[in-house]
Amino acid sequence: MNPYQCHGSQHEFSRRQILGAMAGLGAGSLLHPAVAEDLKAKQKQVLLIWLDGGMSQLESWDPKPGTEFGGPFRSIPTTLPGVHISELMPNTARQMQHLAVVRSMSTKDENHSTGVPRVLRGDPKNRGVTYPYLGSAMAHLKGKPDSQLPNYIWVKPGSGGFIWQHAGFLGSQYGALALGDGKPPVHINRPPGINDQVDQTRNDIRKRLNSRFQEGRRKAEVESYDYSFQMAEKLIQRKDLFKDFTPRELARYGSHPLGRHILQSKRLIEEGVLFVQCHSYHWDTHGDNFNMHLDMVPQIDKPFAALIEDWQQSGHLDNVLVLLMSEFGRTPKINQRLGRDHWPEAWSLAMAGCGLNRGLVLGKTTANGAWVEDQEYDIGHIFHTVFRAMDIDTGSTEYHINGQPLPIAHDDCGPIKELLA
Amino acid sequence: MVTHPSWRLGVLLVVCCAPVTFADDPLSARIDQLIETKVNGKVAGPASDAEFLRRIYLDLNGIVPAVAQVKAFLADQDPQKRSRLIDQLLKDKAYPRRFREAFTVMLLERRTGTTIPAVQWNAFLESSFAANKPWDQLVREIIEADAGNVQTAGSIKFFTATGRAVHDQMTQDVARLFLGMNIHCAKCHDHPTVDEFKQADYFGLLAFLNQSKAAKHTGKNQTFLVEGVATGKLEFQSVFAPDEKNQVGPRLPGGQEVEVPVFKKGEEFAQPAADGLPGVPRFRPRQVLASQLASATNRRFVENSVNRFWYLMMGRGLVHPLEMMHADNPASHPELLKVLADEFTAHQFDVKWLLGVLARTRAYQRASLLPAELTVQDAKPESYQVAHAKGLSPEQTAWSMMRVTGVLEQITGKKRPEDSGFNFKDYINGRIPGPDNLEDTMLLFTSVFGNPPGQAEIDFQPSMGQALFLMNEQLVLDWLKPTAGGLVKRLEKVTENKIIAQELFLTILARFPDEQETDDLLQHLEKHAARRTDAISEYAWALLTSAEFKLNH
Repeated sequence: MNPYQCHGSQHEFSRRQILGAMAGLGAGSLLHPAVAEDLKAKQKQVLLIWLDGGMSQLESWDPKPGTEFGGPFRSIPTTLPGVHISELMPNTARQMQHLAVVRSMSTKDENHSTGVPRVLRGDPKNRGVTYPYLGSAMAHLKGKPDSQLPNYIWVKPGSGGFIWQHAGFLGSQYGALALGDGKPPVHINRPPGINDQVDQTRNDIRKRLNSRFQEGRRKAEVESYDYSFQMAEKLIQRKDLFKDFTPRELARYGSHPLGRHILQSKRLIEEGVLFVQCHSYHWDTHGDNFNMHLDMVPQIDKPFAALIEDWQQSGHLDNVLVLLMSEFGRTPKINQRLGRDHWPEAWSLAMAGCGLNRGLVLGKTTANGAWVEDQEYDIGHIFHTVFRAMDIDTGSTEYHINGQPLPIAHDDCGPIKELLA
Repeated sequence: MVTHPSWRLGVLLVVCCAPVTFADDPLSARIDQLIETKVNGKVAGPASDAEFLRRIYLDLNGIVPAVAQVKAFLADQDPQKRSRLIDQLLKDKAYPRRFREAFTVMLLERRTGTTIPAVQWNAFLESSFAANKPWDQLVREIIEADAGNVQTAGSIKFFTATGRAVHDQMTQDVARLFLGMNIHCAKCHDHPTVDEFKQADYFGLLAFLNQSKAAKHTGKNQTFLVEGVATGKLEFQSVFAPDEKNQVGPRLPGGQEVEVPVFKKGEEFAQPAADGLPGVPRFRPRQVLASQLASATNRRFVENSVNRFWYLMMGRGLVHPLEMMHADNPASHPELLKVLADEFTAHQFDVKWLLGVLARTRAYQRASLLPAELTVQDAKPESYQVAHAKGLSPEQTAWSMMRVTGVLEQITGKKRPEDSGFNFKDYINGRIPGPDNLEDTMLLFTSVFGNPPGQAEIDFQPSMGQALFLMNEQLVLDWLKPTAGGLVKRLEKVTENKIIAQELFLTILARFPDEQETDDLLQHLEKHAARRTDAISEYAWALLTSAEFKLNH
């Protein structure tokens, strides 16, 4: 237990040995051989990997070894000539040609409680309304009403449920289906006594009753009620989505929660979920920053690099946008507890796929890493870029709430042109 | 081609079953005239007795009828039986409960909070409906929020519920719920598309409410909604014209400003500070707001009121959405809205009278099935040519499911343990056992089927989570097991399958099965003869999760 973490809760990663021991034999890859062929016709999707608490840019994307605030770690070369990242990310260094890293993020909130929602909402201009999180926005703007799986799924440690709060003014139906510890909703599990056959029998009767009731009536109500059961049935039938992972998968991605949750997210995207948000907590290293990053950065480096490599090979990266970020970075200045505090002034994030230009590093921080020197970007620019990559024209697309038109991303920002093909 | 089921009514304005009498109230007749003239009389025939019975039970008592009540009503040959039933249900003790639930959902919008316990709010609202308190008085009491009066103390939950104890939310919700105005945008500027919704309306209303705050009476351990000394006008500017300063004092939207009296220093208070509460000022803006807003002369209030009662009974507002009452979104039947508003005022805001009038219209008692001559496309929802299908509220769902499965009688007597820490999240994550008493069961159902706090429950919005709950929640499945007093226990003893079919349909859907449906059930029971009890339980589950059950049609 680290007394310097904001929430002081138990260190999630200490459980990895236990979980590792539990890893059994699982199903093979769910990716059907024909899937790769179909991908081009498929809709574009997003996987947002969120390192909650704030990963240190200096111990990851923007190392400053040998400088005042650089810390103990070295930097290593990457597959991009001249570009170095922290030695804690050797696997990612070999995938840099597929990534776009922004080193010049500068945002406006240094508190977790307000900063997380603010960044996840794209920090739009204050119009007295509560904007949706990126996932809810995407579910609203790109979700298909007849999709077979929920449009917005949130894979997270801890408890699950339906998190309507993410939807903001869009209305609760655009909230996130949260899979606590990556597990499905509790009611996906049939109680004893209900097997496939019984379930089929009772649902067949229900469907017969509904189709008779619907005759000669307005269809909307019965159809939407039927659809809610269809979705439920689909999810129940898709327990395979939650099967354990293969030893090979776990070896490549890691058997710790973050590795498993990225594997789970990967599956969900490959099965067609529009937007998956994958959360990892406890990146808030106010004390003992370097040992904690030594422990934690490898836990994102390995699965992230494996994901990029796998999706590059399978072709998924053509259609899926991967976004790896936190709500802010960490202070260059090292505090008395050998920690780094919250720092929204200058931090980094990484993106890949979905037609974005690859092998880029944008923006620059000062030599000591404290400030943005060149090409400063706010979260609004990232939202514009993500929307554009998803074929949503941020210039012409608006929300309409009570007759009031509202821009989907900050009016004063635009997309990062260097990233768009 | 669509084949019509045998029980479908195919004829216009044809009376079925026992003769139905209508229009024993001249206002009901006038309503029907206004609706039917507009569509040249092209409307569906009357609902069957069974459909009417289920509908009126759900609307007035919040629960489906018990099987004995279904049988008795269907057998009753009295042509006045519908009218008699309406009167009976308005007198039933379930009536105040139903309207307490409906208006708790409408007015609190699932906001909770511990400042005022739910039980106190419930007592206020339920006793008000039981006494048939005039609607204008009820709304005045809610706005005045006088915690000093034992009878109305619970009313202050309206302004102190979680998320509402801020002046912005108070202002918006008073406008939306009592005046049919969503003036959310008007906080920062005039509404961009609705001419009538001005920024000054927002600030005028805010000026009545910005002195209110909760404070605790030390002796009584009771929260009061106290008021400070009003300062007069509020200053505001539009975000589109930040340099242009405007001012407004307390005033209703579109109304006259109230002059805020200025008292000499030291003379502002009618009562001095005491018991932890600040002094009571001589000028109390909320009292002025209550009397001006909830009054017969405030047309917006009256029209919004009748529109909301109309919506509760008919499934759709004459003005829809309910909170967009303005010139560019006129009522589907403007004359009808006017007549209802006039008459509601003339009848001193008598709620039971209004509900009785609406329930006696042909419009209310219409079949939900389209007649052969009308297509879905032609029968626009705002025409009231066929009855709307309303989704059962979470409360109606819970009460009705408990009644038809036979659980209600057993659970009603069970006391909720004082220390019951039942909550949805812990239950759903497997940390605590399921509910075993009525209150916790209601809590479970409202958590699964209700909207999040602050979101109105107007449209039918079924979700996957609700379906998963109905499919696999152990509690629901237990209700369909052959336990003492339960439906399945009663039916597993019946030897004749036809009787089982009849009883299942009468109990769960409040109607007889037709031939095709009976055959379907008989086949099912024969096919699963070896596991007869389970087979009955499965059919009951399907009926319980059918759209016909979930909709008040």
